[in-house]
Amino acid sequence: MTIFISGGCKNGKSTIAEDCCAALACGGPLYYIATMQAFDDEDRARIKRHQNSRAGKGFITIEQPRDLLGCLEKSDPENGTYILDSVTALLINEMYSPESFEADKDAGRRTAKALEQFAKSVKNAVFVSDFIYSGAERYSSYTIEYMEALALCDRTLAACCDAVAEISGALPTMYKGELPI
Amino acid sequence: MHLVTGGAFQGKLEYAKNAFGLADSDIFECSEDCAPDFNVRCICHYERYVMYCMRAGLKPKTAFPEDTVVIMDDVFCGVVPADPELRAWRESCGRALTACAAGSKTVTRLFCGIPKRLK
Repeated sequence: MTIFISGGCKNGKSTIAEDCCAALACGGPLYYIATMQAFDDEDRARIKRHQNSRAGKGFITIEQPRDLLGCLEKSDPENGTYILDSVTALLINEMYSPESFEADKDAGRRTAKALEQFAKSVKNAVFVSDFIYSGAERYSSYTIEYMEALALCDRTLAACCDAVAEISGALPTMYKGELPI
Repeated sequence: MHLVTGGAFQGKLEYAKNAFGLADSDIFECSEDCAPDFNVRCICHYERYVMYCMRAGLKPKTAFPEDTVVIMDDVFCGVVPADPELRAWRESCGRALTACAAGSKTVTRLFCGIPKRLK
């Protein structure tokens, strides 16, 4: 089963996603695809919070900040249950590099394709993204480019996953299918 | 009329084209800088028309013929902007959406390409 989860920040998306994974695993290996690269103390604190939250839940961590399909050969896709938290961080790593100020304009299309391929290649997967599309602020073209690329990834996953949920206040609103929890 | 809303890049126009059988020639894309052409079946980026009205001192039209499809970004969500014009725009859009929704036969919100019927 594949699940796509999005919603606002600090609303319980990761916890719900981890609980879904635990419910789906049925004794198979649980993989946590770690996408975030730490650049400062704020990043390190956020990573620590997520690590503490999944401690004891039995996840094997795969460091995969980019090239998502690369984690298939490091794991057991036929039997595995994967959590990708988050699509947002994966796309940032694909789109921007510390060496360049230029965004990789092909990153959205490439990442969306990899996500779809990944979803079709594994037994179970839960994808977590962030809903960043509403508001009246005028963003720079740099930011809008990223929003558009993330929206392509989100729409691709929402179309191919078995269940789609928006999380608000740790409560799911279902757009497709049901959660296994 | 039919109202389609949701965040930016959520697939609202694509949904409207399929759901209401719209051709590209049926769609008018609003601009903040010029008066709209409402003699079409689909009014896209209605939120830009709201900004045009604010600047021109007009009240936005919120009643449209039965088969008209109005598409609007939900710019009234999110943080209150520091810029006074954007603040006023955000509120005008919220009021205009509510008025449009009241007179609409259907209201649909798109989330990551998936429609949810609100009315």
